[in-house]
Amino acid sequence: MKYFKNLVKPYVVWSFVIILVPIFMIFLYSITNSGNSLINIQFTLDNFAKFADPLYVGVFVKSLELGVITVGVCLVLGYVMAYLISKCKERTQGFLILLVTIPMWINMIIRIYAWKSIFEPLGLMYTDFAVMVGQICEFLPFMIIPIHTSLSKMDKSLVEASYDLGANPVQTFFKITFKLSIPGVLNGIIMVFLLSISTFMIPRILGGGDYMLVGNLIENQFISVGDWNFGSAVSLVLAVIMLFSIRWMKKIDKADN
Amino acid sequence: MVLCFAFFYVPIIITMIFSFNSSKSFANFTGFSLRWYESLINDSEILSAVGVSVSVAVIATVVSTILGTITAIGLSKSRKILKEWVLNINNIPIMSPDIVTAIGLMILFTSVKLEKGYFTMLLAHICFCTPYVITSVYPKVRSVDVNIANAAMDLGATPFQALTKVIVPMIKPGIYAGMLLAFTMSIDDFVISYFVSGNGVENISMIVYNATKRINPTINALSTVVIMTIFVVVFAVKIAPVIAKQQWFRRLSVKIPLAVKRVFLFASCAAVVFSLIQFGGIYRGGTTKTLKVYNAGEYIDESLLELFEEQFDCKVIYETFDSNESMYTKVMSGEKYDIIIPSDYMIERLAKEDFLQPVDKSLLDNFDNVIPAILNQPFDPENQYSIPYFWGNVGILYDSTVVRESDLEAGWEILRNPDYKDNIYMYDSERDSFMIALKALGYSLNTTDKSELDRAYEWLSEQKRLVNPVYVGDDVIDNMVSGYKAMAVVYSGDAAYIMSENENMRFYAPECGTNLWIDGMVITKDCKNTALAHDWIDFMLEDENAAVNTEMVGYSSPVEAVYTEISQTVYEGNEAYVPRQDNPKDEYFRYQDPEIKKYSAELWTKVKTQ
Amino acid sequence: MNTSMKPLIELKNITKTFDDQQILKGVSLNIYEKEFLTLLGPSGCGKTTTLRIIAGFDEADDGDLLFDGIEISKLPPYKREVNTVFQKYALFPHLNVFDNIAFGLNIKKTEKSVVQQEVEKMLRLVGLSGFENRDVTSLSGGQQQRVAIARALINKPKVLLLDEPLGALDAKLRKEMQFELKKIQQEVGITFIYVTHDQEEALSMSDTVVVMNDGYIQQIGSPTDVYNEPENRFVAQFIGESNIIEGKMIRDCLVFFDDFEFECVDKGFKDNEEIDVVLRPEDIDIVEPQCAKLQGVVSSIVFKGVHYEILVETKYRNYLIHTTDYHEVGRAVGLTFGPEDIHVMWKSF
Repeated sequence: MKYFKNLVKPYVVWSFVIILVPIFMIFLYSITNSGNSLINIQFTLDNFAKFADPLYVGVFVKSLELGVITVGVCLVLGYVMAYLISKCKERTQGFLILLVTIPMWINMIIRIYAWKSIFEPLGLMYTDFAVMVGQICEFLPFMIIPIHTSLSKMDKSLVEASYDLGANPVQTFFKITFKLSIPGVLNGIIMVFLLSISTFMIPRILGGGDYMLVGNLIENQFISVGDWNFGSAVSLVLAVIMLFSIRWMKKIDKADN
Repeated sequence: MVLCFAFFYVPIIITMIFSFNSSKSFANFTGFSLRWYESLINDSEILSAVGVSVSVAVIATVVSTILGTITAIGLSKSRKILKEWVLNINNIPIMSPDIVTAIGLMILFTSVKLEKGYFTMLLAHICFCTPYVITSVYPKVRSVDVNIANAAMDLGATPFQALTKVIVPMIKPGIYAGMLLAFTMSIDDFVISYFVSGNGVENISMIVYNATKRINPTINALSTVVIMTIFVVVFAVKIAPVIAKQQWFRRLSVKIPLAVKRVFLFASCAAVVFSLIQFGGIYRGGTTKTLKVYNAGEYIDESLLELFEEQFDCKVIYETFDSNESMYTKVMSGEKYDIIIPSDYMIERLAKEDFLQPVDKSLLDNFDNVIPAILNQPFDPENQYSIPYFWGNVGILYDSTVVRESDLEAGWEILRNPDYKDNIYMYDSERDSFMIALKALGYSLNTTDKSELDRAYEWLSEQKRLVNPVYVGDDVIDNMVSGYKAMAVVYSGDAAYIMSENENMRFYAPECGTNLWIDGMVITKDCKNTALAHDWIDFMLEDENAAVNTEMVGYSSPVEAVYTEISQTVYEGNEAYVPRQDNPKDEYFRYQDPEIKKYSAELWTKVKTQ
Repeated sequence: MNTSMKPLIELKNITKTFDDQQILKGVSLNIYEKEFLTLLGPSGCGKTTTLRIIAGFDEADDGDLLFDGIEISKLPPYKREVNTVFQKYALFPHLNVFDNIAFGLNIKKTEKSVVQQEVEKMLRLVGLSGFENRDVTSLSGGQQQRVAIARALINKPKVLLLDEPLGALDAKLRKEMQFELKKIQQEVGITFIYVTHDQEEALSMSDTVVVMNDGYIQQIGSPTDVYNEPENRFVAQFIGESNIIEGKMIRDCLVFFDDFEFECVDKGFKDNEEIDVVLRPEDIDIVEPQCAKLQGVVSSIVFKGVHYEILVETKYRNYLIHTTDYHEVGRAVGLTFGPEDIHVMWKSF
């Protein structure tokens, strides 16, 4: 309808200015070495060449590792939770989902500090375990909610049909229920992966200063080292990795269907 | 499932419990008290941060909901190419890590010379909230029959009426979902706000982050209040209608849900109005004189700010940083301040890069009160640019019940004593750590010799292998107050505070030399009202004010009379409050050549990630 | 029909292109007051686009659209005195039956009591009294259809546009609604413009049928006209079943096809002009072979309820014949028809 077409225009302008321009500027910073001034720009690929250093490769690998593990644990826990919630009565479901959501309204850093005071007396601070628990607690709701959404949307008669056609509950779960909830699962995976790979607060507080993930690396470059160019390059590489892994996951989703 | 919920709520419950703790510790519950609630009510910084968080969240939610909804509606009617493009661009903020968005926006705001503060924070929040609204509204719009809008217009509705009377009501669930998502994202955001804010505008996350130097249970009290509010609202919205449906309740009253709705509506209107007032308030003012001060976090007795405002009839915009480097980045990114309080080597750097203007000592009545021994140091000869604010050195804080006195003779080498494996905190700072290694090896801490730095790197990585220290930031203070580990590298001022809280702790600066430091007040080139800036410096050097400040912060005062008095009263026998001044091996940090700086930064990253 | 009257709506050489595809290639049409006019054609022929241009949802690229003699092509839909019944009804799911019907009046800020009265009147007209507070999504297809009609008619439009309104209903309900629609049209006495691809619907309800194909109007006429006197091969094929045979006009009233000359009633063609001949299946009689010029063998017979559908194989082609008599497969038969049963058309290219 021609009448509403124009409604999109403000956002086109807005997104250009506030989404595309910054991305472009990050790109610009990543291929220059003029420090913070724009006067004597020199183009260079040195910032990317630095990645060859096993040091930075290691940081990326560790981040990816941790991200994958966090996603894995969140997926299992989150799926079980979402599944159990979706088995409840409708009203209980709403209530339980609300219970999952409420912690997200309380400041993340405060919750991380609370974990700290739990781990410290147990001597668990500054370990992979502490960082993982912190991340999982933070990010699990982002897994539960999308999975629950796709589970609750599912037609119950499909499961009945599956039983009717001779599938046992286990087969039915994997062939029907799980298959149909894949869009939710993928959304959850993407969300959690994104969050866990870019966070720098959780590793900083629960992992100690030598806990270096990509997020910390970027933050370091901008805040402590002051090397905006390298920082931009790292950001860019991170963004590209994210976009590719998301593409890849979506492709799997499509291939599956 | 119950376990999982416990998992979610354990930290929250812990937070709530510790909000009633009578002591500052976040680890030991020492008794019930309401003192943190009291201090919450009196803490204007936290309350204004709450105001900022809430008002930014409310305005950003409203704006992004409207923008997102109309965009989603417009998109569904747009050409395919445009639709795909917009949706892809829209996915960028959702799909790219927070930190990338934050940095992009920071660079954008910096390069268009937009003054950072409330407005930039709001813009950024709208930027990352809108995509969430679009993604939750768009599918709903798509599911609306294409002819619905036509039907409405066919029946005489204008396009606007068709929008408000038909389309919007039909996609309400999507709009609500988007709104909720936007609000959640906005209120909980730290990373983006952290990078794009400025001018003293801070939200709760930033306050919490900056308050890590001294854990401040006031935050816990605040969280508890927030949690309770959420539960009350949830109860009102979700549970009350259920109760209202019960027979026995029906007989009592009839229109509870409507009343609840009204109350809710009223509350949200009030929130919007409040937000607008906030918004307006931040941009009004400016009629009186203002002074913008940039200081390290938890590094002042804030009552002094009010006192200064009163005495000089002006407004102080007070902002904090968490390290010299982050301060430098912020200043480089175009933030303007009148007064900054950096450390020695940073003062030298700022002076070298022509950011500072000389201090006119004839305007300072109290300059003569400063301890002469800390004046005229190599980083700023004749104190041309800086006036000392606090001073001290770096040493080892140890638990005298665990550490053998005889081991201390090893100097810095005690930090590599395998007896204390897993029992040591190092300071997570490249310069301080290299200082230790260089001093232990007998080099100058300002060395420019790369081979010496390489040796220091080996010292540090050997240390990591031998004793596996934990590299911490300012949380070392609370950890050592709680006595979690045997030893920690700390600044003398922090040590003084820790020792006053935990009597087992002792402080010791190795004979082989350590780092002496001075944090000084400097006036930037951006400062227009230099008279007021000098007033401020002078004010801080006044006996009474300096006393209040040193007592609260715990660092050694530069004012001689105050220093002498406090070291004999409040901090009597506290060796950390009286840093030694007579060891020739002690040095001040100097400005580092960028190449050396980069070199050691890389070595430090290597140490940490090995 | 009433060509002497002034037309209510005039379309003059309307064209419209969507995504490089020309949907309307020059449509001209006059629509009169109180007329029940049907736009008939296969999907993609441009009939719905024509309707949407009249309603104002789409704008013609070129050409004029006059309403009561006034150019309205730039007028937005909410200012036009026409209302539409949509294909899938487009009822507002968040409003109940009453509010759906009252929508137009509420937009005009009509007084509450008047709205109440009018809605009740409309509900009576469409036979849904008592359904005021029902949720529209809980109604059956037929009921939704009636709500959609009531919702449009309450605004007292001069013209009601109906876009395949019966498409989603089952066969029986469709028949019922056809009568009902016709009845309503006569009761309210306004122009109906009806879009359908169903020729039976078109023939049974309309005053005027406009046959469209490929962006052009193929024929405008009364149902009898378009059925009995199709102007070209397309119309003949699309409306009803027919045998179309290529032939030659020897001279006026004499046509040649399938090796024989036949008398007919058509005039006005050039001598020896190539033409198409239409023979409706029900106009052909099956007789003993010796009594007819055309001879063939029954190749199939299918019972259709009222009649049999028989295919007779002749030398050149299969003839389709509708008859109430039974003829065995394999039997040799003759085919006859009268001069008035032969309809000669221009050859279409």
